[in-house]
Amino acid sequence: MSLCLNRLQEERKQWRKDHPFGFFAKPQKNAQGVLDLKFWSCGVPGKDKTLWEGGLFKLDVIFPDEYPTKPPKCKFKPPLFHPNVYPSGTVCLSILNEEEGWKPAITIKDILLGIQDLLDEPNPDSPAQADAYNLFKRDRPAYEKKIKQIVKENPAL
Amino acid sequence: MGRDRFPKQSLGSLYSRIKQSRVLMVGAGGIGCELLKNLVLTGFGEVHIIDLDTIDLSNLNRQFLFRHEHIKKSKALVAKETAGRFNPNVKLEAHHANIKDAEFTVDWFKGFNLVFNALDNLDARRHVNKMCLAAEVPLIESGTTGFNGQVQVIQRGKTECYDCTPKQTPKSFPVCTIRSTPSQPIHCIVWAKSYLFTEIFGTSEDDAAEFDHSEDAENAKEIENLRQESQALKAIRDSMGSDEFPRRVFEKVFGDDIKRLRSMEDMWKSRRPPEALDYDRVSQSASGIDPSISVKDQENWNLAENFVVFSDSLRRLSARLRDTQAKVSDGDAPPILSFDKDDVDTLDFVTASANLRSFIFGIGTKSKFDIKQMAGNIIPAIATTNAMTAGLCVLQAFHVMRGDMEKARMVFLTRSTERVISGEPLHAPNPDCPVCGVAQSKLVVDPTRATLNDLVESLLRLELGYGEEFSVNNEVGILYDPDLDDNLPKKLSDLGIKGDSFLTVVDEDDDNPRVNLVLSISEQPLPEDSKPVLLPEKVEVPRKPKAVAPAVEPAPPVANGVAHAPNAADNADLKRKRNASDIGLEDEQIKKRGKVAEETSHAVEEDLVVVEDSGNGAIVIDD
Repeated sequence: MSLCLNRLQEERKQWRKDHPFGFFAKPQKNAQGVLDLKFWSCGVPGKDKTLWEGGLFKLDVIFPDEYPTKPPKCKFKPPLFHPNVYPSGTVCLSILNEEEGWKPAITIKDILLGIQDLLDEPNPDSPAQADAYNLFKRDRPAYEKKIKQIVKENPAL
Repeated sequence: MGRDRFPKQSLGSLYSRIKQSRVLMVGAGGIGCELLKNLVLTGFGEVHIIDLDTIDLSNLNRQFLFRHEHIKKSKALVAKETAGRFNPNVKLEAHHANIKDAEFTVDWFKGFNLVFNALDNLDARRHVNKMCLAAEVPLIESGTTGFNGQVQVIQRGKTECYDCTPKQTPKSFPVCTIRSTPSQPIHCIVWAKSYLFTEIFGTSEDDAAEFDHSEDAENAKEIENLRQESQALKAIRDSMGSDEFPRRVFEKVFGDDIKRLRSMEDMWKSRRPPEALDYDRVSQSASGIDPSISVKDQENWNLAENFVVFSDSLRRLSARLRDTQAKVSDGDAPPILSFDKDDVDTLDFVTASANLRSFIFGIGTKSKFDIKQMAGNIIPAIATTNAMTAGLCVLQAFHVMRGDMEKARMVFLTRSTERVISGEPLHAPNPDCPVCGVAQSKLVVDPTRATLNDLVESLLRLELGYGEEFSVNNEVGILYDPDLDDNLPKKLSDLGIKGDSFLTVVDEDDDNPRVNLVLSISEQPLPEDSKPVLLPEKVEVPRKPKAVAPAVEPAPPVANGVAHAPNAADNADLKRKRNASDIGLEDEQIKKRGKVAEETSHAVEEDLVVVEDSGNGAIVIDD
């Protein structure tokens, strides 16, 4: 087994044994029923007592062959309206950036918790989409209204 | 006087062993050509050469078995033809194929006394390492970059394997840097090559059926937005070939996109904001400049000159793509162009686009010559380094053939005034290595009958005594674990498990788990009354070494598919022995090793540029 798969297998084992409430993270099944360890479907719940409370936001986490030397790519499906999410859904977050905060010791749990924090605490210094960023900067009430609508569209089960 | 007089004299009894040996050389490039010459002249009895590549003009300065008339021919076949004439007593076999092909099975590797790696990429090196471990054939691994070279001897159970130490992977650039905040010329080059070029001439991500499966009523509005965005780009692509095309591309990527970026003010608080370019103004200033400026590849072109090359190369490439499109019949995949540093049209386009973006962001520009190196990721290859490294490979092979692993060394070649060649004793296997710190066995499977349940229940649980918590994995991922039992009734063949593939059994027991068990699958019909899966030899899977003493403990010796767990007395013994002989040297060795490893860190990685397109054209690359 390659170093990459070896580590992902360990991640799966840890997640199976224990994971934070309201989250899900599962490698996707391929046509033959094998769990593809390099492609996970995940869900991040909005934090309680924030705008995002009650929502569950789905994302794909895609691991490169060089993982854990390189970070995975996290992509909201469908793309999320958020200042730090690219129009394609890709998340721009320092711990997912090889030149900034990524460390091979960061686990899937750390990543998903980091994304949960990002939801309500956008980083205005590295905007990734103009729509959400400009609304966030210029018209906070409209931004908050939009977020509430998005939460309604993506309810936690 | 016989041709073998001198090797006989200098090698003594070893020579007859060499003459009878059968060796494999993987890769017939820079090191491979030199190595093949050495092997043939030394008199190795039979040498198999494998390489999937064909000969390129740029190889000829150092891959001396090849001549101009061989361009586009198979490296393996031509190397065999040329080197065969050096010594008619040597039997040569050439395979123009990929070493990862299914035909090169573990049993095929077992047919060799020794394997030499003369490869240029991590992936193939890892594969050969794995196969040699499974086949228990010693491997001589080598690599060079510029003046640096290294040779490593690998033997299962005795030395570190290739994956026992982490390998540096090429550095990549984050999405945000490439798409929004470039600060170095390379960022703009990556943008031009991997984003802009592929968006216009390659398979655009927005064309891919990305949004289709996420469509539901609630998200309709967002999907509509994205669709509009991709339509805008598609509309521009569709105007390819028209007179308006260069203007539309220019205005989008150097105008509108930049203005949109700039509107996100906070991003530019601590950075210089980008200045969008105005098509009319730039094109006016460029009037009278001839596109032939692009031949001046050592000069840094000014804004107007870059503009002229941009428009001209865009026209040339559009015409080419239209031509190929016209020839494609319906139903085939639409044709695309891809970047090639030796394709002048693509290089001109990437050079000009990268430089235009550099003007926008206030970054220094680069000449076409420099950009060719950076975008094409040209690494200096030095014939002398290859020749020395190949010579060292053969010297190490002598130790291995004598069975004298004590004398074998990890050898480093550096450009140094003190010592060009330095060696260090081989390290014991890393017990935590996921590749060699495992128990190995063959698993015979009757493909018509065997199910995953046969493997999990009757073989692993009943025969080998695995508990509840374990998983069965293949090269893709997980077939079985305690939360995934729906595959159990399926046949192994339906799960994609074929002969000569590998399965890994990972013990997930919390205390005292076993090491991973790697099973290499061998398909054969088994009699109806026997079990559909069986182990041809008895296997003992030792427990993982306790984490307290990994520094000195060598991995449990593994032989013939049977792993012996070292008992306490053995361990103590090994520890003493090692301490006695090595303790004084240890620190110095580690220091030296660290230094050399740093210097040769690139030696292992010749495939330096890894570009991956990540979301919405986000790009990652190393430098």
